[in-house]
Amino acid sequence: MSLQRIKIESLARVEGHGGITVDFKEGKLRKVTVDIHEGPRLLESIALGRTPSEVVTLTCRICAICTLSHRYAALRAMEKALEIAVPPKTQLLRDLMHCGEMIESNALHVFLLALPDYLGYPSAIHMVPEHADDVQAGLRVKKFGVRLMELTSARPIHGENPVIGGFGKFPSKSDLLHFKYEAESLIPDAERGVEILRNLQQPTFMEEGMTFMCTKPEHDLYGWVGDRILTSTGEEFNVWDYRKLTNERVVPHSMAKRSRYKDKPYVVSALARFNLLGERLDGVAGEHFKRNYNLSWIRNPMYNNIAQAIETVWALEEVPRLIDKLIAIEENPHVVAPARNKGAGTAAVEAPRGTLYHHYEIVDGRVIGADVITPTAQFLDMMESHIRVGAENLVKEGKTDGIELKLEMIARSYDPCISCSTHLVRVRGL
Amino acid sequence: MADNAKPKVGFYSFSGCEGDLLTIIHCEDELLDIFAAVDVRSFRLASSDVHNDEPLDIAFVEGSITTNHHAALIKGIRERSALVVALGACASFGGPQSARLGYDDWEKRFKKIYGDAKLTVARAFESQPIDEFIKVDCYIPGCPIDKHQFFFALTRLIKGMPVEFPSFPVCAECKWNENECLLLKGELCLGPVTAGGCNSRCPNYNLPCVGCWGPTKEANVASEINLLKERNFSETDIVNKLRLFGGAAMVRRFADLLGIEPQGPLKKVRSKKEDKHKPIVTAEVKKVAVPKGTKTKPKTKVNAKTGKKR
Repeated sequence: MSLQRIKIESLARVEGHGGITVDFKEGKLRKVTVDIHEGPRLLESIALGRTPSEVVTLTCRICAICTLSHRYAALRAMEKALEIAVPPKTQLLRDLMHCGEMIESNALHVFLLALPDYLGYPSAIHMVPEHADDVQAGLRVKKFGVRLMELTSARPIHGENPVIGGFGKFPSKSDLLHFKYEAESLIPDAERGVEILRNLQQPTFMEEGMTFMCTKPEHDLYGWVGDRILTSTGEEFNVWDYRKLTNERVVPHSMAKRSRYKDKPYVVSALARFNLLGERLDGVAGEHFKRNYNLSWIRNPMYNNIAQAIETVWALEEVPRLIDKLIAIEENPHVVAPARNKGAGTAAVEAPRGTLYHHYEIVDGRVIGADVITPTAQFLDMMESHIRVGAENLVKEGKTDGIELKLEMIARSYDPCISCSTHLVRVRGL
Repeated sequence: MADNAKPKVGFYSFSGCEGDLLTIIHCEDELLDIFAAVDVRSFRLASSDVHNDEPLDIAFVEGSITTNHHAALIKGIRERSALVVALGACASFGGPQSARLGYDDWEKRFKKIYGDAKLTVARAFESQPIDEFIKVDCYIPGCPIDKHQFFFALTRLIKGMPVEFPSFPVCAECKWNENECLLLKGELCLGPVTAGGCNSRCPNYNLPCVGCWGPTKEANVASEINLLKERNFSETDIVNKLRLFGGAAMVRRFADLLGIEPQGPLKKVRSKKEDKHKPIVTAEVKKVAVPKGTKTKPKTKVNAKTGKKR
């Protein structure tokens, strides 16, 4: 048998529209491409000429799953450009909203999108007859994340409450306390995800060493926001220099541009965060990390699934701590007005699937430059590389039965957000 | 009930953020019920069990059309579906990516981003709502949709009943919620011209309406523009705001007010008469997708339950 081509037209259980093509010639693998079919939306060019607050409303629409990461990155970048410093309570509520999105997105991916592959089902719905408890646990955790997003941002998706300089409205003390106790009670459900993945055999046929990057928190603890970027090559950068880290190019098979660092592919993700900052995890999550971390985590993207499961536990532990600090501050701060109406600002936050950059330039209170670099656009090259190694090994060993699913699993482990990936774009002036 | 007796339903997605399908996935409490009430033949975001060549009773479509590949797919979906429902702002009006429709600068913007690189994936063009390509039976508005409006539409459609959403603006809901008027406080609020159904979500949080439900049927855009001008907002800012989510609806209905000369595909569209009376949110149920053995008696209970949630 001579294999000619493996073509996965449309990846299921990932956000957006992408496929995989693997070409062979005379039994040898010739080319692997991750094809992005997502149509171009050119949202960055729609941003030009608009007011900063409108642009925040616009750019969070890049992606529904990471809407609050986009919003958070946009707010931070706009506030730097307009010289706004937000008070501690605003910062705490933003951290809380970010926890909501991490819990929602990670639980969605771990329980509903990734787990069905390991257990041999087409979807989590199909898992229900035999794994009802696991699915229900996942849904409970995800639902909590969604509700926390709603509490802090006014809607489960594209909530407008977080605005430049603060929040339209702060949640009440009684609501916050309710969420605190609920978060504590959900930790065992989240741990269930870690335990399931820990006891499953991780496929190894695609292993290849990776370079990692993530945002460095401003304190010594684990976190997702900061102004410096860490790399696994031992370097550290200011977010202003994000363009040096994310050299981009256009490839013919994709509506998404691609990033490379020093002409090599790299990875941003929960796995990247844990490889670089895992030692900082505390509490129950810290124990799970120590119990599960091994050297395969630097070569095998499948471990991103368990990293996300552990990160969900950490986020649920973080929620009560943040809420305690929030309710200790009685007065709800007003929205802070901008100190100026022009400037430029760059910000990075960790979206669930990796580092997200937003950069804006503002003149006379109108946006004249916008640049968004999404995690998926950054890791697409490495994902392609892992799929290539995986396909090569499977063909070499003659294990081509069900090869499509095995390659899809690699893609899914990255938790790609393909709607996002098409927004690696720099626009200035019209 | 055997699966073959249940209405066959497909969920499809084009250019957008997938927020409308995600809204459905976020219905943790009702998700399993939805999958039990209908036979879901395609829902790529949730399941790899996809059957894309079968006749459907209802196709739910989110996202706008931005490539020739999309255009072919949406036509295929129409051909094999009794009803097609547009889910959310992108499918209904084109979404924020259609905010510059009529300015005729898409190619310039595309070049700026992708340069002269040759893309082999598909031929791209400016974002259009799905009804530029096919007939749509029902529109569920919102960016993203509201899950209660989705439940309402789903339950009515599978019983073969018409779907009607509120024709009043966000302003009405805002009054019921006893919010302080943000227009009077000097904010650029689109409440008076935006379709209700969100329970005035943003004004409840002291924030002006951004217009994400699209213009309401009776929207008096001219008066809104005058009102905002009196409050010293510049014409550019007013138009920008109206167009952020108004997409094709703004071009079709208010091009003259907004100073747009419709170009390209939108030019050929509907006659003026049709434009004026084209309801933004209604369903014309032609072919009814009723499971065998189901009686279709109207239930006022369902009717009262939705429309608006208070």
